[in-house]
Amino acid sequence: MAEVADDLPEAAGRRFADGAFSSGLTVPDFAACLQMGLEPVGYVQGFCVMQWGWRGMASPYGGFGAPNQGGPGSYTESWRCPHGFVSAEHRGWGQNFEQSWVEDAWVQGFSSAYERMVEEATSLGAHGVVGLVDTSGRLGDLGVLEFRVQGTAVRVKEGPAPVDGRPWTTYLAGQRLAKLIEAGYAPVSITAGVASVRIWAYCITEYLTEGSATAWGSQMAGAEIEQTAKAHMAVRRIAREHVRAQLGGDSLHGASLVTTERELGQGDAELQCILRGNRVRRFKSFDPIPAPRPTVRLS
Amino acid sequence: MTDSPSHGLGVGDDGAADNEGGNLEQEMLEAARSLSRPAAAQSSMTSDLSIDEELTLHSIGWEPIELVCGVSLHAVPMGVWNWGQGEITYASGAYMSSFATATERIHRECAKAGGHGVVGVHVEWAVHRHHIDVTLVGTAVRPVGSKRVAAESVFVSDLSGRDFTLLHASGWAPLGLAAGASFVYAPRRSMGTAMKQKSQNVELTNFTEAMYAARESAMERMQQSAIAMRGTGVVEVKVTEGPMAFAHHAVGFTAYGTVVHLVAEQHRSLAPTTVLPLDDAVRAFDATSLRGT
Repeated sequence: MAEVADDLPEAAGRRFADGAFSSGLTVPDFAACLQMGLEPVGYVQGFCVMQWGWRGMASPYGGFGAPNQGGPGSYTESWRCPHGFVSAEHRGWGQNFEQSWVEDAWVQGFSSAYERMVEEATSLGAHGVVGLVDTSGRLGDLGVLEFRVQGTAVRVKEGPAPVDGRPWTTYLAGQRLAKLIEAGYAPVSITAGVASVRIWAYCITEYLTEGSATAWGSQMAGAEIEQTAKAHMAVRRIAREHVRAQLGGDSLHGASLVTTERELGQGDAELQCILRGNRVRRFKSFDPIPAPRPTVRLS
Repeated sequence: MTDSPSHGLGVGDDGAADNEGGNLEQEMLEAARSLSRPAAAQSSMTSDLSIDEELTLHSIGWEPIELVCGVSLHAVPMGVWNWGQGEITYASGAYMSSFATATERIHRECAKAGGHGVVGVHVEWAVHRHHIDVTLVGTAVRPVGSKRVAAESVFVSDLSGRDFTLLHASGWAPLGLAAGASFVYAPRRSMGTAMKQKSQNVELTNFTEAMYAARESAMERMQQSAIAMRGTGVVEVKVTEGPMAFAHHAVGFTAYGTVVHLVAEQHRSLAPTTVLPLDDAVRAFDATSLRGT
């Protein structure tokens, strides 16, 4: 019988000790798991509810303040107004900068939920977790965000104990997992990285995004909104760098890159980019499948 | 390690499972054992391709290497969406410039990563009143173990791994993404025409002409872009059309697709095998029909 960790919820302990497994697998996925020698041992989950509100800095405009220096090593880029002094409200400078505190909070929420799920899997003696699903969502209008990570814990028939006691994890299950193995990749873990970039628009960005740039010269009328474009490129680059830093020589497979934008004023915005995918390790040398045979269906 | 509860699944006890999944089971075991060894020193890859796409790429000797992207936003000045006649050149120009700049950026990222091209590019674009945004995200690929190629020969394509493989097998290759867009005013009808057409189902020639003009200009631009790349044609063309949500008297038409050319001496026929699946969906019995509803 499984030894349930002390700090797991009581109900989880009873569920795991019952002697029947629960799983989030479809029947075809379940069948494919059995074919691979994977025995489901339980449905495991981890949650973390975080207070989640706007934690930005106050408006920098209305003066000649110095740009935010950003954290050590974090992305920051600034722009100077070309017009000279116009008025106290004029946006004399603008800046894009990485909001590391937003990224840290996201990582805390995601990692806590993930670790709690891993803890449940470990208490079941699992070797891995397949068909993992991670979501996040606001709980009503309470200003809180819940991170959820769920999956099906499995044991590998005659498999070795997990490295450092931590089961491997993957978003894949069923035939897709079987194909991954056949392609020569072993699942290591799921990987997720987040980047958050704030845009404080300077006057040119403000004029271009509100369409009033022609007032300052027709050559600006159809110009690229450089500050915003650079922020979009930067947020995607930072998310990829964060994930790269976690790979340790492994590869990222089946990635999903999702970027959201929240407008905060004319030209001002907050960008968030989340990159997630399967960290995989090549365990056999490259061995391509034979060229697939094309078919046409008669129906 | 703790003992797991026994659920009596008997994995491996079943002869059929053993026979059919024997190799797979062995490979799974090998994969699990490999995790105790550190990752090989070889360079790692990042990819948003599915496992099916990656396997089909492997079958023709190609591999993914890096997730790459390109973004650009161009401004549209105030007032250009107001009533007028002819093409809204600022809007058409902003779309074309954003597409070209985003393509140039993803192209640069691919070349830097050592890719020979980008496949499976997700194209996202949005027309706002004062700016037009284009975002491209895809996976840089190359023939396994190949060296870098000159930056100008790197291609960008929205073809999936499967489509790229099929194209490759037929002797064709992608050259790049071609796009065309045109935004046109549907001019006001005169007061007399509007009164005469009131309460009638008649053709609104102002809209017909505006849609025609937008379609033809956009398609011509996409074709010109393909010709500039020395392409033979454009495949997988996606089009959108219709009035702007914020200016109903302005219509837009956009088109983009992958430019292709023949690289083999001649087109290679794939000669597909015809199959007759036996798992057709059975028409379900509908109990409500008994009640005559």
